[in-house]
Amino acid sequence: MRVCAKFRTGDVHLRCVFFHIVFVGLCGATAVYASNFKVTSVQVRAVGSALSLRGTLELGLTPAVEEAIANGIPIELAIDVRLYRERPFFWDERVGNWTLRRELRYYALTGQYLISAGIGAPVTRESFVSLNEALTQLGSLEDLPLALTAPLPSETQYRLELRAGLNVEALPALLRPVAYTSRAWDLNSGWTTWGVQR
Amino acid sequence: MKRYFTGIVPLTALSALLVASLFMMSAAAQNSAMFGRMYSLLLVINILGIGALLALIVANFYGVVKQYRARVMGSRLTLRLLAMFVALAVAPVTVVFLFSVQTLNRGIDTWFDVRIEQALNDALLLGRASLDAIKQDLVKTTNEMAIELEMGSDRTVLSSLNYLREAHAVGELTLFSQDGRIIAASSQDGPESGTLLPDRPSEEILARIRQGQRYATLDATTRAGLRLRIVVPVYSRDVGSPIRILQVLQPLPSRYAKLGESVQTAYAEYEKLVYLRGPLKFSFTLTLSLVALLTMLISLWAAIFSARRVVAPIRELAAGTRAVALGDYKKRIPVPSHDEIGILVESFNEMTRQIARSQSQLKHSQREAEMQRTYLETILTHLSSGVLSFDHRHMLRTHNAAAGQILGIDIAASSGQSVDSFARAYARLIPFTDAIRNAVRTGSREWRAEVELTAEASARHTLLLRGTLLPGLRGRYSGYVVVFDDVTNIIQAQRAAAWGEVAQRMAHEIKNPLTPIQLSAERIRHKYLPVLADEERPTLDRATHTIVEQVESLKALVNAFADYARPAQIAPKPINLNDLVRDVIELYRAERGPASVDTIPLRGIEDDGPATNVKLRLDLASDLPPIVADAGRLRQVLHNLLLNARDALARLAKPTIRIVTRSVSEGEHRYIELGICDNGPGFPTDLMDRLFEPYVTSKTKGTGLGLAIVKRIVEEHRGSIVAENLPGGGAGITIRLPVTSAADKQAADTGLAALPKRRAHGDESA
Repeated sequence: MRVCAKFRTGDVHLRCVFFHIVFVGLCGATAVYASNFKVTSVQVRAVGSALSLRGTLELGLTPAVEEAIANGIPIELAIDVRLYRERPFFWDERVGNWTLRRELRYYALTGQYLISAGIGAPVTRESFVSLNEALTQLGSLEDLPLALTAPLPSETQYRLELRAGLNVEALPALLRPVAYTSRAWDLNSGWTTWGVQR
Repeated sequence: MKRYFTGIVPLTALSALLVASLFMMSAAAQNSAMFGRMYSLLLVINILGIGALLALIVANFYGVVKQYRARVMGSRLTLRLLAMFVALAVAPVTVVFLFSVQTLNRGIDTWFDVRIEQALNDALLLGRASLDAIKQDLVKTTNEMAIELEMGSDRTVLSSLNYLREAHAVGELTLFSQDGRIIAASSQDGPESGTLLPDRPSEEILARIRQGQRYATLDATTRAGLRLRIVVPVYSRDVGSPIRILQVLQPLPSRYAKLGESVQTAYAEYEKLVYLRGPLKFSFTLTLSLVALLTMLISLWAAIFSARRVVAPIRELAAGTRAVALGDYKKRIPVPSHDEIGILVESFNEMTRQIARSQSQLKHSQREAEMQRTYLETILTHLSSGVLSFDHRHMLRTHNAAAGQILGIDIAASSGQSVDSFARAYARLIPFTDAIRNAVRTGSREWRAEVELTAEASARHTLLLRGTLLPGLRGRYSGYVVVFDDVTNIIQAQRAAAWGEVAQRMAHEIKNPLTPIQLSAERIRHKYLPVLADEERPTLDRATHTIVEQVESLKALVNAFADYARPAQIAPKPINLNDLVRDVIELYRAERGPASVDTIPLRGIEDDGPATNVKLRLDLASDLPPIVADAGRLRQVLHNLLLNARDALARLAKPTIRIVTRSVSEGEHRYIELGICDNGPGFPTDLMDRLFEPYVTSKTKGTGLGLAIVKRIVEEHRGSIVAENLPGGGAGITIRLPVTSAADKQAADTGLAALPKRRAHGDESA
């Protein structure tokens, strides 16, 4: 299942970078990527016309983000996945894009943290009594299927790049300027590269 | 290209875009679904647009400042208008902005009421309390079911679960083994619910149960809504057997669920609003700031645009005025509009048109006046008469070259001076100035006068003056003009002509009776000398001899007068004056005495004793050009002058004569000069102005025609002669003869012959 169109991914991506440059530049701040989000381990296997993704993301939130969640602001985790075909004499060819989204929110009536699956990122459980439990579940990728247009040829090497980050654009409009200009809201793991197993 | 960035159209378009963008951003800030997703994009667009607008304004302002520093016409006014517009625009906007921000912040704060917040918290607590009560009931029921399941085996437990689920009316019952494996489950949902597997508690819950604790919670799910989850251990009656785990899932009754969801939603929204109060203020302040900034920038641009538009015709007008001041009367300014400035520009154009017309007429008049002046100056310059004009204060205003030449002064240096200052500066001009003053004093409109001026060398000049008053305004006179001529030469010519007439009459009247007198005396002598007594014979002899001698003398005198009056017979041909000089002096060379190339001894006059040789020094120019002249006539000139000089040197200890020839150029004319000087007593001062008249001589002998004949011959050759006493003593005669060019030579061959024939009397013995 193709989870995200190429255009949409690129659009979001470019906008993120663009806004970063603009806002960080305007505020005179130095863009330092926080290391709160980390991609701990990823295993990718090619299974027929799909990739099966397993992995663990270490998602540490800053106090500002935790406070926002406690005050009912939902946050969205965006996991960007890119598949490249390795070529010996040319730059690698990108053959697939996916963006997986999961939302985390606080449910005050029951005092629980709820995870709702966004596009292409199903979850096994939805409610958690503690934030850490919810984040652990949120960062747990269990056999996520990534659809391919065709099975991967066995003789070709592939690599997969993955990045997890807070989607600022999913925040309420009023919060976005703050999020763009504050390092506390700059949660991004950066790109990590992983080999595709057969 | 420039107008695409500086005109009103891009300004309006950019401003409209920014206003629209700000409107959308404002809507987005209020959680508008339409613009919410574009909020960041709109914000960036606005900031970039304002930045672009700011850059344009800064560029325009820099241009204005640059023009101001370069002192471009109109830049000062532009800057002043700009400052005024900015002050008028920025101050109100700033005030409105500050008040708006303050009011907005206060307004937002008033949205959040402590009582509402407390009420929502209470509602949430109430909901939780209600749900806890339901949960406790279900926990109690679950415990009872767990006790009932203690005795059942795994194989028969399914029926027990079904029974218990129906008996207690719960949604789902699931029995797990100690390790979490599902032993049996019973659910009120059928296969159509889509959930084949029962919901499994997490490992954390299972671990708690294994430790003997109970777990009861209210789960909120997106699929099933609110439901209660109760997990309890099921102990076995058999000692040592592992525990089992019972989980009860009970959906909350719909009424409770709706109420709970409502409380949750209201609480969550309010909490979110409280949390977003800061960002909301920031967002509204940002939007307001952008609106204020945009308004100010648009005002600034409009100020620059308006100032330029207002100043443009004024600048054109100022440039036009400057051009007119510099003399460009063809400057026309395009009429920008039909308002007051347009009328001003039209008036300026009309004014320059009229000035140009007047200037053209003035120039035409000036040109005509200039032509008239040039015409008059040309006439005055080439007039042989001297012309002086004086204003009513007797100051010299106009003069011509001939005036200076006749008066012998630098007349240009005397321009603007009065008649009296003339007299003070040049004492010999006193008769001249007195004549003018006297005439002006009498007030006669026209007058004539004749004055005699004495030069330093005692030469006298006779001037004939004619004066007239110049007409002025209102019948007054504005000055007077004096025209004068040097009539000395005319008078001399008249005298010469009179003497020629006298000589002719004398020759005619005296010569006729002389021959009969001479013949009669000779006849008396011849007839009576032999017959007279010896004592009377000497008397007759002496008497007749005297008669004959005196008649011969009279004949010579008459012949001299005849020569003076006889028409000239000139035979011109090219001659070398130096050769002619050497030929003539050879006739006077003495037998003895020191001689060299330039010094020749001449025979002195044999007067009362032995003659003393005269030393003749020759200073002849080697590059003397040939002249066309009558050699015989010039030879006579040299004879007369040499004889005059030798006669003047009689009885001097060291008599010396010096003959000089040289070539002289004056303008385009070339002359040769012949000078004969001696170291004698010089000319008598009282005869200086009449030296060349007949019968003017200081010698006891001679007819007094020598110099008169010399002058006549020189004038026949179109030359001039000047006599002067030398500063170191002695007399000097300078003759200037024109050198004719090759083109003139042929004309001279016939020209000299065609000269006016003049009557002349000559006498070789002056």
